[in-house]
Amino acid sequence: MITRRDLFKVAGVGAVALTVAPGMVRESFGAPKKISIDDALKEHLGTGLSGLKESNLIHIKAPTIAESGANVPVQVSANIPVDQVEALYIFADANFNPWVATVEFTPMNGEVFFATRIKLAKTSPVRAVVKMKDGSLLAASKEVKVTVGGCG
Amino acid sequence: MARIGRAIVRVPRRISKGQVFKVQMVITHPMETGFRKDKKTGKVIPAHYITKVEFLFNGKKVTTLHTGAGVSKNPYFAVKMKATESGTLTIKYEDNKGGKWSKEVKINVS
Repeated sequence: MITRRDLFKVAGVGAVALTVAPGMVRESFGAPKKISIDDALKEHLGTGLSGLKESNLIHIKAPTIAESGANVPVQVSANIPVDQVEALYIFADANFNPWVATVEFTPMNGEVFFATRIKLAKTSPVRAVVKMKDGSLLAASKEVKVTVGGCG
Repeated sequence: MARIGRAIVRVPRRISKGQVFKVQMVITHPMETGFRKDKKTGKVIPAHYITKVEFLFNGKKVTTLHTGAGVSKNPYFAVKMKATESGTLTIKYEDNKGGKWSKEVKINVS
């Protein structure tokens, strides 16, 4: 006869087996979970949307309408001396993982500039956050309309 | 795909001292998010993307990029750099599956 206690034991063994399985196998079990922009900001910057200060010193160059979300050119520059800047973060709100990239600057860069191509799951703002050496966070965002998503 | 990790780097041919110039690069890489499914088998394609790109000039750190799967396939990156002297720009990059590569470019400052 199977008691309730036995059932728990079996379930426990199963759970352990799952956790020790190689990363690849484990990944295929869990359905991808959408991380909210607020959580992504908290994870990388330690503060949510409310901690950001809008700044017109940061310029984002990105298309207003992107034909394909798989390849959206984004260029960020800032009129801030590079020696005051620690890092630049790029986020795309609607992606499963909104964090796209972090760029660490040194005075050898000469200018705050970064360009890349990113994936966008759907129409959403693209955010650039500049982390200053004094700890303040300056942000700018630009809405990009996507007709075909780029995340699978 | 044996070509994964190949990179093309472009810098201006002539750079004058003190000039801020652009370094552009494209890496051949699938940049899989780990969310996509293989249409034939229905299995999830494991994540495979560039995690880090380091730019070093004459051994000194210029810029470090940390990237996630949100960057497009065959990623393009451009950064700016100030020319102080001639030397070698080394770009080191790695992915989440342990792939490590590096690429060297000569910078001629006149």
